[in-house]
Amino acid sequence: MSHSLHRFGTVEDLKNDFCIYARCARGVNRDHPGEKLRRILDIYLSEDFVNFGSSHAGKSYVNGLDPEDYKETLDNAYGIIISFADRNAVKGVLTKIRDAQLGISIVVSGLIDEVVNIAHECGLKPHTATLSLGIFGNKSLLPKDETLKITTMCGHSLIGTPLVESTCEKVRQAKLTPEKAAEIIAKPCTCGIFNTRRCAELIRKQLENIN
Amino acid sequence: MRIDPARCLGCNRCVDYCMLNCISKADNICTIKEEECVDCGVCLRANVCPVHAIFMPEECYEYPRAVRMQFSDPGVQHPALKAWGRGTEEAKTNDVTGKFGKGEYGLLLEFGRPCTGTRFTEVEKVTVAMRKLGIPILEDNPLYGLLESDDSGRFKKEFVNEKVLSAILELRIHEEELEEIIGTIMPLLENVDTVVSVGLVTRFDDDAKLPVAEKLKAMGFTVRPNAKINVGLGRPLID
Repeated sequence: MSHSLHRFGTVEDLKNDFCIYARCARGVNRDHPGEKLRRILDIYLSEDFVNFGSSHAGKSYVNGLDPEDYKETLDNAYGIIISFADRNAVKGVLTKIRDAQLGISIVVSGLIDEVVNIAHECGLKPHTATLSLGIFGNKSLLPKDETLKITTMCGHSLIGTPLVESTCEKVRQAKLTPEKAAEIIAKPCTCGIFNTRRCAELIRKQLENIN
Repeated sequence: MRIDPARCLGCNRCVDYCMLNCISKADNICTIKEEECVDCGVCLRANVCPVHAIFMPEECYEYPRAVRMQFSDPGVQHPALKAWGRGTEEAKTNDVTGKFGKGEYGLLLEFGRPCTGTRFTEVEKVTVAMRKLGIPILEDNPLYGLLESDDSGRFKKEFVNEKVLSAILELRIHEEELEEIIGTIMPLLENVDTVVSVGLVTRFDDDAKLPVAEKLKAMGFTVRPNAKINVGLGRPLID
């Protein structure tokens, strides 16, 4: 899955948007990874995270997933992912995972220059990148850019235009705060890579542009 | 997915949760257009139906329909790969698998993303062309098992009209083939009735640079400023 790739936006509004994915490899280190994944989760949670989740549990942290309940399921998992809105938190996580020497592959999604700089600050040598070349095909099927910035934060495409636009409309009508709207929009994204802080900020900017 | 008409109150609360606009209201009840639905389960998990009228019918678990949820619900394990969702490791574990080596690229064509969905007929427009050109389709990918065994790039007839939220076609390209293969495949995407998010896997050089970015720019692509980066913490490391 390339689900944390293709997050749409400008450099400015992507600068506080990171995902970190720890992923075991089939045939290498995927048998019985529970203990290592629990250690990684503890490291994730020791920093200022935004959201994480479980597709198997069908919910994310911002929609009620209990970290302790989640930990107990990790014997049957092979990867855990979390979202951050702060480079210092990403740096903290990478430093701690480096020191723990767990041998699990770690992937960071974010602005390329920023992630490479953070990796260097942690003494790491970036190995492989997956670049986004954008969207092709019948682009008339896409929503407006401001909606796309929000929907593409769910890389499994589970958050669609109707939910984003109807919820943003409730913010415009002062029925919801941007933060509450972000929580509602985040609900279908069960793996938890939806960055609710960035979403609230994007909604706030939409409002400023209208007013 | 289906909505039980005997229970539905027609309250509309589920409608906005369908990213493919498959739920509509008529005669005071909501219905799901099942031929267009990809069985992702979002409307059910949203838990907004006050009378629990939304459910997954038994036939959605039977082949060929079952591939819909396998490709569309990340909580459903893909049986061929024992992996969830679309189920490919691509570059995430490349530091320990070496799936994409130096001098190689991975091209990832994700049909249906974002939020459009795709039938395999649209993917087939590319897989058939790939096979005519002798480009292999990677086997450790959920799509591989749905293809005919005759190497034509065609999907088995029972699957070809099935619809999924997204499906990733993966290619391994040698450095010297990049222009030719991308130049052949990208025009095919102009004729698909869906959207395709395109990614490219590449190794960093020893100076932590990505030389392919300049090549892509020269070919007319805009490389987005954000990416997924494997930071090389896996062990044993394949450098």
